[in-house]
Amino acid sequence: MAFVLTHLVPGDPAVANLGDRASADPVAVRIYREHFGLDKPLPVQYFVYLGNLLHGDLGESEQSQRPVSTDLAEYIPATAELAITSIVLACLLGITLGVIAALNRNRLSDQIIRVVSLGGMSTPQFWLALVALYIFFYKLSWVPGSGRLDAIVLPPPHLTGLFTIDSLAAGQFDVFANSIQHLILPACVLAAFNMGLFTRFTRSAVLEVLENDYVRTARAKGLPELTVVFRHILRAASPPILTVVGLAFGNVMTGTVLVENIFSWPGIGQYSYRSATALDLPAIVGVMLFVAIVYILVNMVVDILYGIIDPRVQLA
Amino acid sequence: MSVGAAVSNPLASAWRLIPGAWRQPLTVVGGILAVSWLLIALLAPLISPYDPLAQSAALYQAPSAAHLMGTDELGRDVFSRVLWGARISIPLAMLLVALAFTIGGTLGGLAGYLGGWVDELVMRGADFVFAVPTILLAMAVVAALGPGLFHAVLAVVLVSWPGHARVVRGLVRTTMESEYVAVGRLLGSPTHRALTVDVLPNIAGPVIVLAALEIGNAILLLSALSFLGLGARPPAAEWGSMVSTGAEHFEAWWMGDFPGLAIVSVVLAFNLLGDSLRDAFDPKAIIKARGA
Repeated sequence: MAFVLTHLVPGDPAVANLGDRASADPVAVRIYREHFGLDKPLPVQYFVYLGNLLHGDLGESEQSQRPVSTDLAEYIPATAELAITSIVLACLLGITLGVIAALNRNRLSDQIIRVVSLGGMSTPQFWLALVALYIFFYKLSWVPGSGRLDAIVLPPPHLTGLFTIDSLAAGQFDVFANSIQHLILPACVLAAFNMGLFTRFTRSAVLEVLENDYVRTARAKGLPELTVVFRHILRAASPPILTVVGLAFGNVMTGTVLVENIFSWPGIGQYSYRSATALDLPAIVGVMLFVAIVYILVNMVVDILYGIIDPRVQLA
Repeated sequence: MSVGAAVSNPLASAWRLIPGAWRQPLTVVGGILAVSWLLIALLAPLISPYDPLAQSAALYQAPSAAHLMGTDELGRDVFSRVLWGARISIPLAMLLVALAFTIGGTLGGLAGYLGGWVDELVMRGADFVFAVPTILLAMAVVAALGPGLFHAVLAVVLVSWPGHARVVRGLVRTTMESEYVAVGRLLGSPTHRALTVDVLPNIAGPVIVLAALEIGNAILLLSALSFLGLGARPPAAEWGSMVSTGAEHFEAWWMGDFPGLAIVSVVLAFNLLGDSLRDAFDPKAIIKARGA
């Protein structure tokens, strides 16, 4: 379906990729089309693509002249490292703030948290990234500017592709420190939107749980407040929060396109921006397929977690 | 005594007539912000001190009394450009939400009312769009059609109709199950009457709330596309592309920061309003219908 949709759009990939001078030359355009099979009718292209897909071949990127699967394998770890860090940050902050807001409903702290969370959801990520770079890199020099490592630092031996984990596994603590320094700012920028989202949903989920009798009973028994919050309230409130965390992977993908471009982070976001602007169809379809698979997997994991949290939920 | 106090203070009694949700201080802040921006969008030609496109020899001026927000790389007044930017982002975001709502609402309403294969078709289409990250699809569409603000709007409509479709479908389905619709049908009211008289008024509230919340998102996404160079073309005074130009002139922070703050305040205003409205209407209905 993604395939048909991207082919329906009326741009000409040959013109987009060859540049102005080359596309004026009909011979160059024809050679290009034949190389990528673009001269064949659309249904034929589609079945060729499906056939290749079955044995894991996503086609060749028209821009990098390499198989899309090679490109994806190179860029996915960088984005995974960034996205996972930001989701973890957003969860920690968002759920904490949401619980505090719900427990202090309509008091001053609730109002402040409301402004902070809605502010996070209202700030354009591209602008936040620039402001963060301006302050922490340009003015204060607390963090290095862009990329995943300093230019003089060699990447750790490839294991997972996540530099933080690879460097720890190899015992290179200086590389680990350097990769963390590079990771922290883009991850925080990326976390802002989801932090706001998680705060709002945690607040309303906790408010709903607070009305239950067992919460009052737990407090009446004289249980410490922290036990009540973690054992009774958060556990009951977690299904809706989990759902939002699962859906938030979509927001992160949108954010990575912008944040990776600004921080020169060599990941899927930058790759998809380059591919989209160059109308590199195999690459676009490849990224879409990958993201859709992640989306489905994440939501499956969420469904399984439901069952663990709430034994009443039966997995069909 | 209390009656006397109320009469002696007409302002306070008028205040109490306003529904509870509107009396929250943050709602008032959001409302004032939103109204101010709407006024700015309307009055920009009258209140902006300079022509937003007029170039001058005063390049990269820091903010001063003459140029409240400084000047940019072509000597244009940033303050005037920020004011004029409201005339691009706000009307386009409203147009965009109206279009997305018309398409998504109609499809969702049909899906919810007819059920069967129509429902399947519409909802599978919506699922597909949901599974692909918004900006990726929008980027591909804009790249194919060619950069431009109008194409960016079309692209965002294409990625945002499913949200409306889902909500309207969910609302129509729950309303159809209610007893008053069944009674109406039993009394012999035809389909179109059941839909317009029984269903429509009951789903209008939550749908309006969703639209308010969507305007903020629409502004964010449109400016993001312009930032990437896929939306507004220079020299148009559009906030996203102004931030993008500002990014190339790091030392002149005022070039990018003020347009960015403009986006934050507009989107925050609509989010505060939408959030309060959601509390005022039945909040659970919307959350459930959105499937989140």
